Amino acid sequence: MIAGNAWVDALVRMGIIGALVPVSVIVLTWVERKVIGRMQMRLGPMRVGPYGTLQGFADTIKLLTKEDVRPQTADRWTFELAPFVIVVPTLMALVSLPFTADLFVRNLTLGLFYIVAVSGLSIVGFVMAGWGSDNKYALIGGIRAAAQLISYEIPLVMAVLAIAMIGQTLNLSEIVAKQHNVPYIAYQPLTFIIFTIAGLAELYRQPFDIPVAESEVVGGPFVEYSGIRWSMFQLGEFVNLVLISILGSLIFLGGWRWPIGGDAPVIAQFALMFVKASVFILFFMWMRASLPRLRIDQLMAYCWQLLLPFAFLQIVINGLVLVYDWPSVLLTVFSTIAAAAAIWLTYRVAQQSGVRYQPGFDRVGSVL
Amino acid sequence: MLGIVRALGTTMRAAMRKPVTVQYPTEKKELPHRSRGFPVLLWDTRITEPFCTGCQVCARYCPVDCITVTMRDNPKYAEGKSKRKKIVDKFYLDYARCMRCDICVEVCNFDAIVMNNTWQGVELSCYDRQDLVLDLPALLEQSRSGQLEDPFREPMGVAHSGWAPKAEEEGEAEAAPAAQTAAPAAPEQATTEGGEG
Amino acid sequence: MATDYRVPVEPEMETLDINVNVGPQHPATHGVFRMILTVDGELVKDLDPVIGYMHRGNEKLPENCDYRQAIGYHDRTDYLAQFNTEHCFVQAVEKLGNLPVPERAEYIRVILAEMNRMSSHLMFLGAFGTDIGLFGTSFMYAFRDRETIQDFFEEITGERMMYNYFRPGGVAWDVPENFEARCEQVLAKVKRGLEDIDGLMMENEVVLARCRGLSTVSPEDAINWGLSGPMLRATGLAHDLRRAEPYSIYDRFEFDIPTGRQGDVYDRIVVRLEEMKQSVRIVEQALEQMPDGPIMAEGMKRILRVPAGEIYMRVESPRGEYGVYVVSNGSDKPYRHKVRGASFSNLSALRAMSVGRYVADVILILGSIDIVLCEVDR
Repeated sequence: MIAGNAWVDALVRMGIIGALVPVSVIVLTWVERKVIGRMQMRLGPMRVGPYGTLQGFADTIKLLTKEDVRPQTADRWTFELAPFVIVVPTLMALVSLPFTADLFVRNLTLGLFYIVAVSGLSIVGFVMAGWGSDNKYALIGGIRAAAQLISYEIPLVMAVLAIAMIGQTLNLSEIVAKQHNVPYIAYQPLTFIIFTIAGLAELYRQPFDIPVAESEVVGGPFVEYSGIRWSMFQLGEFVNLVLISILGSLIFLGGWRWPIGGDAPVIAQFALMFVKASVFILFFMWMRASLPRLRIDQLMAYCWQLLLPFAFLQIVINGLVLVYDWPSVLLTVFSTIAAAAAIWLTYRVAQQSGVRYQPGFDRVGSVL
Repeated sequence: MLGIVRALGTTMRAAMRKPVTVQYPTEKKELPHRSRGFPVLLWDTRITEPFCTGCQVCARYCPVDCITVTMRDNPKYAEGKSKRKKIVDKFYLDYARCMRCDICVEVCNFDAIVMNNTWQGVELSCYDRQDLVLDLPALLEQSRSGQLEDPFREPMGVAHSGWAPKAEEEGEAEAAPAAQTAAPAAPEQATTEGGEG
Repeated sequence: MATDYRVPVEPEMETLDINVNVGPQHPATHGVFRMILTVDGELVKDLDPVIGYMHRGNEKLPENCDYRQAIGYHDRTDYLAQFNTEHCFVQAVEKLGNLPVPERAEYIRVILAEMNRMSSHLMFLGAFGTDIGLFGTSFMYAFRDRETIQDFFEEITGERMMYNYFRPGGVAWDVPENFEARCEQVLAKVKRGLEDIDGLMMENEVVLARCRGLSTVSPEDAINWGLSGPMLRATGLAHDLRRAEPYSIYDRFEFDIPTGRQGDVYDRIVVRLEEMKQSVRIVEQALEQMPDGPIMAEGMKRILRVPAGEIYMRVESPRGEYGVYVVSNGSDKPYRHKVRGASFSNLSALRAMSVGRYVADVILILGSIDIVLCEVDR
């Protein structure tokens, strides 16, 4: 409790997080461009600052100084409030997200529940942006975004619920404390897979980026925005990325505790969290560079017909093992079997769409 | 599944390889000898006058009509210093219209115009479109200052479309690309050809 | 379609179809092409293509130019396969004027035309990957190899895109000394680059799920709609003008004609990828057989006057059948010069292929036709 006052304490902590997160977002835009550039065998930003490190700042300054354009026939308040409705819940979710043992705003007892509840609010912002832009592309994109985000929210919540069942608590710090020996990924591989895929869909990145498909609806619900409002959308997207990555490293990879134990200095905790979150972030960027996008009906089908039943299955497994007090290794066994089944089913579904064959060849003889 | 894994593997392997970016303008790739920039006129350093006699063949054959040429009597011929009876008076080439098709180089009887195969031949941004219409001194500048070291002209010995060289000119015509400063053979004959062509 | 999860709409619910204008300015229309889609949710009910934004008088303007000046117009008609279009036009003039082309010139033309086919198909693969959602990765891989080919062309002709190199009667000038060594270098690089694109896109299940079974076309429909080129061969018909009506020296080479099975979008990609490999074969054979000698017909006059007559000459360009119809009245300029663009005929089948599909699929179908707007609009 800083300065003995709850208000001062909250303001200072929120100030620290509020200062760190946008800077990390700006750095992340540079990292993404560099990483994807390397995967495409090119250099990425190189001009602004040494090796392009100031590119994110230059982009931010440019976006902040742009004219704020609004279409004349746009529904004014819906259009203008949509960025806030998307960004504010994401920032609110950062309130109960601990970065290290001491670096958090508030350690809520219902931390996990709060995060999941609040991040579901931003879906309304997509529909507001889509409708308020008075643009058919925005409308199509907004409806797609709403459908996708609502659908993939459910496996995400189920996965988080499964972890909460294992940890017997919704307090994020305590979940990390309980992973001092074994991270929960060892007990719940299926949940990890579901969380990663649903998280990727919540971030609307490849292969689930059809709401903001650049080659079809040219930005989807964001097509009419420019300047500060656009930068707010980008901020929201990358803060969401940081949120999902840190949440994943807290509840699956052992947070700041595993493997070094609870008494490590803050620097070591920070470094460990940084490494674990980077694993998630780099994996998401790798997927972005390599995979095309699925069509909306295909990704909805994948969610409702594959991810959701397996999420329920995982909860049932967890419930059985916990109620009948079976040894924890059975969790690993059942979950691995279910994960293998999920991967095999995905493989079968993908195979069903067709195998590559050798095309027929018509030999042309030489007439010499 | 396996296809997705293969795609991820391809991207990861590509990330390990050296990037193929050439960071222009600090690094520039080497232009090949035949590279076609915009056309420039050549300067005869021996006699200190342009090779161009203003015969208007290039203006006639240009598909987009970007060349305007006029000729005048050559004062150096009257003084006996040069073999060219006529010399170019005004020469305007509109780089904004030129499509770099190389036909003016092919039809020129005097080897007076070439495509600029250096970087200066393609780095031509300006703020006003009028600045892209170059006049005679601007067109001669590259050759006079010696920046145009080795322009590409197709071998004159090989009959290319439109001009089959006569027998006595062939020997001299083959020597012409070697020495940039050599005056073209038989300028009076070429002038009359230019008049009819 | 393999993944068809449409929920049937109850007939009592009243819905309104909206018109979505995939306008002339759009990242996915491969040029200035406009489609007016009538859309019910995600389902396309009707498609109205609007062309003409790129019309530049490509047929009329060469009627004021002599035959050498007109070659530049063909470069700009199909700006991704320039050597193939130039090849068509110069062959038309040669046939009208009975000009004998020396052997070396023929071999140079075939090598360059086939390498241009490779670079055109590389551009297609890059652009198609972008349409389907890859974040520019396929584009970068394809353009890395395309740059290699374009650098090679720059060493021969001087230009990276609008070559203006073929002439009626041969080619403009001879190839440089290290032509064969450079050619083999370029081929080796392109073969390695094709493996990258192959690994990235061809077996990717997402690509398969999006493209397999999408807009299947039967061979009868393909003939009725006037499709040609890889779109026709994807339906199963092995019709390639290089074999059906061999022009130039194509009857001396041994190559296969890849065909598909259903004519869907995935077959078209596979056919184009395999065609690239066959082009590599043709170039290798041509390099072995290329003789020395002159590169221009003997006795060419300064001004080329073609005797009166008319001719329709067609070649197999990477997009399909590219044809030139020239009517000459004995002067040095063509009297009537008409271009049959392959993309125009292929594009006219877009509506029949897209109605009943999703909006996202229409973009893919348009991408798979591989149009070049200058051929459509001329």
